[in-house]
Amino acid sequence: MAQVIVVTSGKGGVGKTTTSAAFATGLAQRGKKTVVIDFDVGLRNLDLIMGVERRVVFDIVNVIQGEARLSQALIRDKRVDTLSILPASQTRDKDALTREGVGQIIEELSADHDYILCDSPAGIEKGALLALYFADQAVIVTNPEVSSVRDSDRILGVLQSKSKRAEEKRDKVKEHLLVTRYDPERVTRGEMLKLEDVQEILAIPLLGVVPESESVLRASNTGTPVILDQESNAGQAYKDAVSRFLGESVPHRFLEPERKAGLFRRLFGGRAA
Amino acid sequence: MSASARTETFRLRASNFSLLVLRLLDPRPEAVLPVLGDQFRRAPGFLRFAPIVIGLQDLEASAEAVDFRALVEGLHALEIVPIGTIGGTPAQRQAALAAGLPPVRAAGGKEEEVPLAAAPAPEAPQPRQPPAQAPALAGGTRAALLVTEPVRSGQRIYAQGTDLVVVSTVNPGAEIIADGNIHVYGTLRGRAVAGASDNPEARIFAMNFDPELVAIAGYYAVREGLGEAPIGRAVQVRLEGEQMRFEPLG
Repeated sequence: MAQVIVVTSGKGGVGKTTTSAAFATGLAQRGKKTVVIDFDVGLRNLDLIMGVERRVVFDIVNVIQGEARLSQALIRDKRVDTLSILPASQTRDKDALTREGVGQIIEELSADHDYILCDSPAGIEKGALLALYFADQAVIVTNPEVSSVRDSDRILGVLQSKSKRAEEKRDKVKEHLLVTRYDPERVTRGEMLKLEDVQEILAIPLLGVVPESESVLRASNTGTPVILDQESNAGQAYKDAVSRFLGESVPHRFLEPERKAGLFRRLFGGRAA
Repeated sequence: MSASARTETFRLRASNFSLLVLRLLDPRPEAVLPVLGDQFRRAPGFLRFAPIVIGLQDLEASAEAVDFRALVEGLHALEIVPIGTIGGTPAQRQAALAAGLPPVRAAGGKEEEVPLAAAPAPEAPQPRQPPAQAPALAGGTRAALLVTEPVRSGQRIYAQGTDLVVVSTVNPGAEIIADGNIHVYGTLRGRAVAGASDNPEARIFAMNFDPELVAIAGYYAVREGLGEAPIGRAVQVRLEGEQMRFEPLG
């Protein structure tokens, strides 16, 4: 049986799709059979970030409406062979998704996968509710900024009341906090929320902190999940997060501003102390 | 112009209410009323003149033998005011209607306890949570409603007829309401409404006081009006006449 993981946030533009792509790729790189599903019907993006937009023939709506078999719609990743992608439809809207249809797809995928990642659309409407309904675990993507934190808080509440696990009164969905676009310098200047502030409000275990990085935009535009960029801080942070997800203990990085060669500090630091 | 000259005599508005439901497990008023009366004597004042809905869904379908007139009379004698019925067979509803109890529709569908599948209420999506019923303690007092998880943005918790104790935090955008006192042992960042059934004696206690709004018995203060209040400290809020007092604790 596969574990179903929803990547969600409430707010848009915080990095859900970037995270889904990176996380799915990271799990697959670790030898886990992984499939990532784009639930953002009407505004599909995951195929672009994954670099498979030119290979989309059928999509999740085709499968639900019986116009294609699941195996026809799945796109096998060319870089990591344990990874596949189920794209969303760009021409329909979210009403084309049904709970039964999604349930059937997840059940079918469950048979021969280790992880099923659900890339949620923004908001708390139908698409987002369906993306989280079947989840066993949730990665809550949050920016260090008040509106993002509040929306994440909202989605955590939804997760604990509207998910299948909640409805069946089983063990609750396991929650993981992933803080993205973290800029330690702006945090020091007081322009961004501190990590502790985010953690204090959301009160769920921290999976990782992904620093703000130019490599993310570059990765998106070239259709390469950022986790494949070994050089970038963001890519390394995602790799760490995947390791922690798999139960390894990895120290958090990229929380402090990078040290500039501090001439002042070297001249005066000693005396001031 | 003529409209403003005319005096309005009424306005018709739809509104939602939280009501207690008295679910009959036995159709005989003579079996139900003494037990109910006994319970009420042990909890004086509790539910006096409270409007109540009679739940018929647990009764056998054949039990059209409910003597609704006797039931209504008996409840009035206990100072409980039945206003309608929910559930039951069409025949039962008809009999109730004849005794002045119209069928009531539940606005948001659910009661707190999982209803039997046959509940006829239309299931509309409901943004608010149903009032949580505190369990009755032996001796007739009601236990406070205890919440141990964080109360998150968009969530609403109502402790009906009792106190509310939140061990965790109440986040911005969350709302906690109690007919009694409110205790928050984490940080209170959302809205807190105490004494919701018009009890000016109710108080709000928070270990870390940082709310969006506080209200007691209809008197309220929004954050902007809390200039003098000791924000970020342990605080109790109480009502003195029409004035809200914010006092540091400990």
